[in-house]
Amino acid sequence: MLLHIRHETLYRYDRPAKHSVQSLRLTPRTETGQRVLAWNLTAPGRQSQQIDAHGNLMHLLTLDEPHEEIHITVAGAVETEEVTDSAPADRGRLSPLVYVPDTELTHADEALLEFAARHGVKQPGRNEVMRLAHAIRDSMDYVSGATEVSDTAARAFSLGRGVCQDHAHVMIACCRALGVPARYVSGYLLTGRDDHIASHAWVDVWLAEPERWFAIDVTNGVPGSVQHCRLAVGRDYLDACPVRGVRRGGGAETMSAKVEVSGDGLQRRPATPRPRLLQQHAAQQ
Amino acid sequence: MNEIFNEMYADGDTVRTHYSPYSDWLAATAPDRIREKLVEADALFRRAGITFAVYGDETGTERLIPFDIVPRIIPAAEWEFLQRGLRQRVTALNAFLHDVYHDQEILRAGRIPAEQVLCNVQYRPEMQGIDVPMDVYAHIAGIDLVRAGAGEYYVLEDNLRVPSGVSYMLEDRKAMMRLFPELFARYNVAPVEHYPDLLLETLRSVAPAGVRDPTVVLLTPGAHNSAYFEHAFLAQQMGIELVEGQDLFVDDEIVYMRTTQGPRRVDVIYRRIDDDFIDPLAFRPDSMLGVPGLLTAYRAGRVTISNAVGTGIADDKSTYPYVPEMIRFYLGEEPVLANVPTWILRRPEDLAYVLGHLDELVVKEVHGAGGYGMLIGPRASRAEIEEFRTRIVADPARYIAQPTLALSSCPTFVDSGLAPRHVDLRPFVLSGRDVVMVPGGLTRVALREGSLVVNSSQGGGTKDTWILAC
Amino acid sequence: MLSRTADHLYWMARYTERAENLARMLDVNCRMTLLRQEEDVVRRRWTSTLATVGQLEPFLAARGTVSQSAAIDWISFERSNPGSIEQCLDRARENAHAVRGTLTSETWETLNSTWLEIRGFRRDTVSAQALANFFEWVKFRSHLARGVIQGTMLHDDALDFTWLGTYLERADNTARILDARFEMLAEDAANSDDAGDYYEWSALLRSVSAFEIYRKVYRDLITPRRVAELLILRESMPRALRHCMSRVHQVLVKVANDRSTETLRRAGEIDASLQYGRIDDMLATGLRRYLSHFLSRTGDLGTRIASDFLVSDATG
Repeated sequence: MLLHIRHETLYRYDRPAKHSVQSLRLTPRTETGQRVLAWNLTAPGRQSQQIDAHGNLMHLLTLDEPHEEIHITVAGAVETEEVTDSAPADRGRLSPLVYVPDTELTHADEALLEFAARHGVKQPGRNEVMRLAHAIRDSMDYVSGATEVSDTAARAFSLGRGVCQDHAHVMIACCRALGVPARYVSGYLLTGRDDHIASHAWVDVWLAEPERWFAIDVTNGVPGSVQHCRLAVGRDYLDACPVRGVRRGGGAETMSAKVEVSGDGLQRRPATPRPRLLQQHAAQQ
Repeated sequence: MNEIFNEMYADGDTVRTHYSPYSDWLAATAPDRIREKLVEADALFRRAGITFAVYGDETGTERLIPFDIVPRIIPAAEWEFLQRGLRQRVTALNAFLHDVYHDQEILRAGRIPAEQVLCNVQYRPEMQGIDVPMDVYAHIAGIDLVRAGAGEYYVLEDNLRVPSGVSYMLEDRKAMMRLFPELFARYNVAPVEHYPDLLLETLRSVAPAGVRDPTVVLLTPGAHNSAYFEHAFLAQQMGIELVEGQDLFVDDEIVYMRTTQGPRRVDVIYRRIDDDFIDPLAFRPDSMLGVPGLLTAYRAGRVTISNAVGTGIADDKSTYPYVPEMIRFYLGEEPVLANVPTWILRRPEDLAYVLGHLDELVVKEVHGAGGYGMLIGPRASRAEIEEFRTRIVADPARYIAQPTLALSSCPTFVDSGLAPRHVDLRPFVLSGRDVVMVPGGLTRVALREGSLVVNSSQGGGTKDTWILAC
Repeated sequence: MLSRTADHLYWMARYTERAENLARMLDVNCRMTLLRQEEDVVRRRWTSTLATVGQLEPFLAARGTVSQSAAIDWISFERSNPGSIEQCLDRARENAHAVRGTLTSETWETLNSTWLEIRGFRRDTVSAQALANFFEWVKFRSHLARGVIQGTMLHDDALDFTWLGTYLERADNTARILDARFEMLAEDAANSDDAGDYYEWSALLRSVSAFEIYRKVYRDLITPRRVAELLILRESMPRALRHCMSRVHQVLVKVANDRSTETLRRAGEIDASLQYGRIDDMLATGLRRYLSHFLSRTGDLGTRIASDFLVSDATG
């Protein structure tokens, strides 16, 4: 399927910020299942680009002059196709074992351990992964604004509510608790509705038989599909989030974002973005 | 292993040959003069500001690390042996680091279980496939050595992240030469004063390829860090800038420091900040001690970070038991220096043995820091042992066990006079173009009677370490 | 050198100098109130002093009404007042601590013991003698700090930035003291008597250690015009604006970098205007207007120095 994507992000500061550095993971991955036909990133300041530890294309943006806003636009076309056992997803440069130890955001507490033991298996196939995802979706309502971007899997799970980021973290926590490698995926989703997710997050789980990464969209209870465009993977949100930044000065920050995804030339109405996912980790010295 | 080796005396009261000139001097020196020297030593250290935990309290006074005036003396031949072993061990550790971040041959050969390395949080995926100058990761290694009952040396721990303490080695020597010049006339003590030169040479030798006259800086967490004295001391001794994270910035994969003359490029960063804190965009996002984007510049090979990112995988307690295997695998040699025998509780047979001997052993949690998550069998109560047993059984892979070692002791001045106290030894091994070390190290002494804890935060002191020249 | 190091040295010097000038200002006020006891005059004087050091609003918010003892306590010892002498010495020492490796141990020990000793002054003892002793002590600690810096530090760019802070702060302070006096003068013009005036002017001169200098230079009666000339235009008078700005200019020439061209030009302009300025012209256009213009120009220079050389995000 051919996906046309346009994603604009605007940060504004109360007072001029003196120095900003941001890492942008806003370029679709080149891997089995998707091909980047055209992609363009527009951002201020100087940028260098690098493939990061997890195989994502990252831009590092530096602004060393006073600035009151940062405006980032990416746009392009991506062709996606079904990932199958015969054409499995790329293994990547890292061993799947790297995605076994937990992180602060994906640490499983007592409740998650118990839940994982009840609903997960140590050597899952597709069906077991789907079952676990459905169990998580059943215990956690999708409620926008119920959690903070820095909330852990354990906290979101205890609330029983969350957004795609929380669903993904809980899924990862359950898999890792059983020793199953699992990683966070950030990307875009073609929905065709304007009230749903465009900038999205889901999970890759390492299957035992045959050995491969299997993408599962916990929020929607479906496997990864041609409607999913993958931007970045990592151990958790922090590794894979589209924008991560640090700045000096600037006072308070407001962020707005607009994401448009359309498929096969069929124009959709702009989807309502979920600013939370793109929120900058602002830190002031 | 419960007999204690005394560094100065053999069989209770026979003075070992290399201590006899000292013993003679001691016998000929009035106790009052020694007391005077103790006072003088204290004043000397206070004046030089050799302190730790700077400015903890309200009055702005600083704590001194207790310094003992009885030197720890090591004969030339013994040092030769240690040096050989240290060089071998550090070379193997660096080879291991290069391997796990490249082809992982040692894992594929099954000499170390893959999950042991790859599922360890100390393994940094960011380093996979990244080349570092000279393939060296641990440019500065502090290897902790202890001696057991018969005087045989063991490696207790490798410190490959940000090992500290070398400033005390240097200041202790300076103090001893000031206080007791006559002793240096009786002994031919090998010099250690050139350590800062060697360190700078090592750091310059691992600058990114193509940099002709590298700029080296020392990155400190700041004046409130407990080791700040050492950071300032080393920077001053090497004549390099002492910088904080806010002094540096990254632009287009190049690291600059902010100076009054504008940005100046930095090539080598001797950092005294842990991995987790060096780049808020790559590691802990809440840390402002580091430099945003530093890891990107590092991975691009535009700056050298020393020690390298990710060395923790080689000095982790769970990796330690495999170091002898690394030496065999990479160097094809038998280890010169022994490890303390260690049971790896992920191995069922080791687990069975340890569970049967918990009251004799020390059990350590592999990721536990300091004394936390540790069981000292001979000193633990029945209940504590049982509680620990439950934890071990629940997750054996988290633990290793070792026999309780009787550290060697060395005569030390305490309130009641001269008395034996337990000591260890931390030599510093520098790896760059060459592997070098100054003949010496930091001898730490547990000042409390019977204590085996040599850490400065827990009542430990230091002694000057004399390696005798042949 | 590192911008951060320069920043700490610059502020170490500014705070030390500021503490000294606060002490001078308080000292002269205390002397004057020994002379004139009318309550409203005393209150007006202290109100003016608080305004001069930019602390009137926070003072009123914290203490309500102005009284001599409250104002002295506020400016001398109040910890919640970032502009108090105690806080200035605290910050001077904190800045010194941050760059301890750059300082000689004598310099560090001087600033550290000043900081330790101020705790020995009890803020509830208000006898005139005790206060005079305190102000004297602050001035002498500042002299000592300057002397130790001058006598022990390497004369390199570290020292340049230290002097930059010292002279810029001093120029600012002298201008403020003069401004406050001329404000009082204008208001008192109707009911001034010569004897009172004489004491006012001699106290002002004493507050900047210029009484004997005045005698030596003019060998004549004290007149406002001459006082202004001495404290503004006299190159050889160490607390005069001209002396200070000439030093500031010299240092900026020495440490100039790619970004500092405009800053250097503005410093040169101020320096030249003092070098070639005439006191009669200044009096003609109004001395207070001149001084307030001067203060805004040195304030601007401070901002520019921070962004050209120092850690520019110190203010967040």
